[in-house]
Amino acid sequence: MVNVEEIRDYAAGLLEKGEVKSVLGFRRGSASAFAEPCTITNVGEAASLVWDPTCLNNLALYLVKDRKQQAVSKTPDTRPVGIVAKGCDSRAIGVLLQENYFKREDVVVIGVSCEGTGVVDPRKLSAKLKGRTASRVTFAVQGSTSVAGGRTPGATDGADGINVSVYGDETETVIPAREVLADRCLECRAAAPALNDVVFGNTVEARDFNEPFHAAKEAERLSEDERWATWERHFDRCLRCFACRAVCPMCYCPECVVDSTTFVVTLGTSAEEKANRIRWCERSANTSESAVYHLTRAIHLAGRCIDCGECERVCPVNIPLRLLNTKLEKEAFEMFEYQAGHDIEQASLLSSFRDEDPNSFIR
Amino acid sequence: MTKRTGVFVCHCGKNIAATVDVKKVAQELAKDDGVVFSEDYVYMCSDPGQTAVIDAIKDNNLNGMVISCCSPTLHEKTFRDASELGDLNAFQCEIANIREQCAWVHKDMEVATEKALKITRASVRRVQHNQALEPIGVPVTRRAMVVGAGIAGIQAALDLTDAGLDVVLVEKQATIGGNMLKLSETFPTLDCSQCILSPKMVSVSKNSKITLMTESEVESISGFVGNFKVKIKKKAEFVDPELCKLCDDCTPVCPVAVPNEYDVGLTNRRAIHIPFAQAIPASFTLDEEACLGLNPVVCGKCEEVCDVGAIDYDKKPTVTEEDIGAIIVSTGFDLYGMEHMGEFGGGRYPDVLDGLQFERLCSASGATEGHIMRPSDHKVPKEIVFIQCSGSRDPENHCAYCSKICCMYTAKHATLYKHHVPDGQAYIFYIDIRSGGKGYEEFVQRSMENDGVIYLRGRVSRVYEKDGKLRVMGVDTLAGRNVEIDADMVVLAQAMEPSKGTAEIAKILKIARDKDGFLAEAHPKLKPVESVTAGIYLAGAAQGPKDIPETVSQAGAAASKVIALLSKDQLAHSPMVAKVRDPYCTGCEMCVDACPYDAITLVDGKASVNEVLCEGCGSCVGVCVRAAIDVKNVTQLQIHEMISAIMA
Repeated sequence: MVNVEEIRDYAAGLLEKGEVKSVLGFRRGSASAFAEPCTITNVGEAASLVWDPTCLNNLALYLVKDRKQQAVSKTPDTRPVGIVAKGCDSRAIGVLLQENYFKREDVVVIGVSCEGTGVVDPRKLSAKLKGRTASRVTFAVQGSTSVAGGRTPGATDGADGINVSVYGDETETVIPAREVLADRCLECRAAAPALNDVVFGNTVEARDFNEPFHAAKEAERLSEDERWATWERHFDRCLRCFACRAVCPMCYCPECVVDSTTFVVTLGTSAEEKANRIRWCERSANTSESAVYHLTRAIHLAGRCIDCGECERVCPVNIPLRLLNTKLEKEAFEMFEYQAGHDIEQASLLSSFRDEDPNSFIR
Repeated sequence: MTKRTGVFVCHCGKNIAATVDVKKVAQELAKDDGVVFSEDYVYMCSDPGQTAVIDAIKDNNLNGMVISCCSPTLHEKTFRDASELGDLNAFQCEIANIREQCAWVHKDMEVATEKALKITRASVRRVQHNQALEPIGVPVTRRAMVVGAGIAGIQAALDLTDAGLDVVLVEKQATIGGNMLKLSETFPTLDCSQCILSPKMVSVSKNSKITLMTESEVESISGFVGNFKVKIKKKAEFVDPELCKLCDDCTPVCPVAVPNEYDVGLTNRRAIHIPFAQAIPASFTLDEEACLGLNPVVCGKCEEVCDVGAIDYDKKPTVTEEDIGAIIVSTGFDLYGMEHMGEFGGGRYPDVLDGLQFERLCSASGATEGHIMRPSDHKVPKEIVFIQCSGSRDPENHCAYCSKICCMYTAKHATLYKHHVPDGQAYIFYIDIRSGGKGYEEFVQRSMENDGVIYLRGRVSRVYEKDGKLRVMGVDTLAGRNVEIDADMVVLAQAMEPSKGTAEIAKILKIARDKDGFLAEAHPKLKPVESVTAGIYLAGAAQGPKDIPETVSQAGAAASKVIALLSKDQLAHSPMVAKVRDPYCTGCEMCVDACPYDAITLVDGKASVNEVLCEGCGSCVGVCVRAAIDVKNVTQLQIHEMISAIMA
């Protein structure tokens, strides 16, 4: 069991010794049970850090934001940043390091193992609570004293061994973990952060939920026509709010293929380039343009997506975006034994070629 | 600048015009934006055609043009040269391929015309955004490397030195000479193979301009045409060739016996050995794999008996780096493995031999000193069956291609057999007799008429051992009957295949192979000795099955190409190279990993292209998710324009 005091002490230590300019972590949110991301810059704030199954966000996003800020600042603060990272978050940091987005010494990874559980899916939880609002969500281990209320919760799902307790409206509900955990956590292959400077919690690897790529495999059962019909419907519903792109730590390109507002004009930009902005894809929402946007994004994330599931979580119209990415993650794994973010030294999937790669036409 | 684009649509005789309405293509394109001139002509590449192009550029003040014709691999250079003559920058000229990619693959004129129109229109839209570019000048290293020292490599190396060039000759084996060394006589003149080869081998060893590196292999290559850097790994030289006086005191004490490669396994040799008496370099050599352990404690017998102290077990492999301007690859062939020919008893019966083994039996330097006898019981075979096309021309089971030389060498084998065993009878099973070549057909006829060789047109189904004989079950399709022959010996004319290691050297040198694994020439007719990589040339059987005269011709041709290349002061490198769009580059290094030419490095966190190394292949463009890299004149904008033109 992760003791949040350890995280707080470690973060406070880093700040106290001046090893980092700030620590990215989670604090209690202002509404309902869900934790929110925070940046703490002094020792006193360390006490506000929390750790529970509502720490959903992939904080690596804020490392990207920090880097972008440094790039435009006249007096950039280049001191390292500390970051609280789950297994998936640490893989995201791994990919960013692999792509030289920042250097290893620029970041102190405070790893926290999910220990065989993970984070809750707010939609699943809200369905379970039937309209009630959760005010607190904690890990609860079967048969042991509850960390939260000092009570021993009743075990409802012995198979999981780990439950999630929900307190709200003065009542307590115990829900089996597998019913409310995010899909990605059910399929997670590496719950402990491999890339880290310190890890809190047990590095449990095996868990008894779903097989890897379960959701993608399920989706593959549909026929091609059925799949297309499904995705056409999803793309048709897309609002093109770009929340998926905004939340993705890998979507850090200076110019996105769909944007006409971030066109970078420099001394080297020719008049012709200015006059002939290429529009591979229109910004407005219609089915075909949205399809191009989502498919381009999926291809650009092949071998880079580390399955934090943030894109799907933030989608206001519930498009199962994670499926697109895990499908490619599955192909990368099955065809090339490639797992994004697992080894920062290896060449990226898109740019590397090995003789044993399945490419019979190359001699 | 106002676009003034010219379009020239070629009929290519009937090649294009039979399927594409070329007049319509020209007329339609005349209506396009910026097109000020559009015409068709029967042979654009002919002198009148090119003159028309040059005149049209001048008369219409063109600032871009598209030739709608055959593949750019054929005539891009022709028309870019014409473009320059018309005072239009060569890189303002683009080719639209409406022959290979349109006329030749379609039958319906209406749709083919529509497609030709789109292909041409796409090129027009592209060329309207082309930049004028100037070739990049690069210096030249006047030194060549030849990989593989069989007859092809030897000939090429000697021809190169005749032109005053220095040559590094790299050979994997302990001696030069290759497969030709193993032959007894050569068709159609029956002159002794060694007698014509060994003088050339001696010339190599005496030639001060040739650096001979035996037991060596190319480890890696970097650089580009005119300026390669090649790392060559030489096996540990346990026997010092300078000290070795060829006394042969070492072999009697060596306890190890392994099959002798030079005798194609018909005899054994020791771990310490000389490949054969006339080996170049003339020295004994120690086979590291066969040796008991290079350790005086384990064995050390040869070192003890060597009076001059030529043997040193502590020697290590060495790697040297050479600056090389051009490379000839002549890595030769191996015979298709006998183990594949189970139905003919290949690899199963000692008296079923392959062609090279039979050569060794006939050869005066072979194990039997030129007496043909059965390996099993040393009896002289009185009836002998030769099976042609063994492993060749059989796409279902073996090699699809014709190995070209087997018809001739089988006729030679049968003739030689009759010379050695006058009272014997030779039978040859064949599918066709392919005897194209000077004096070849006459040679085959002589073998039938003078030497009584019986040619049976048909295939053999099976060879098996019965009562000490090899029973050959075949068919004579001309007589329409089955044939059974109880033979004393069977010789399989095994297919030729690229030598072992061809795939590896192709990968190291970044040259292509064809579907059969032979090294691929850049163009089957017009560039038969060039590889697809600039500055690397091909010679001999590594490029495809061929006999000695053809190999020697090709070696000479490759050498002359190298001589021409290295006679220049500077080489022109294509300016169509990658260019980084700095603001978009995040320094992720994907292009660095993807570049097959090591042309990209990271400078101050941004990708930077070495234009001399870049071949403009576009691999970097493909992997850059940020679209931060373009190839000049194939920019994103141009690709977008081309797609738009085609989709419109």
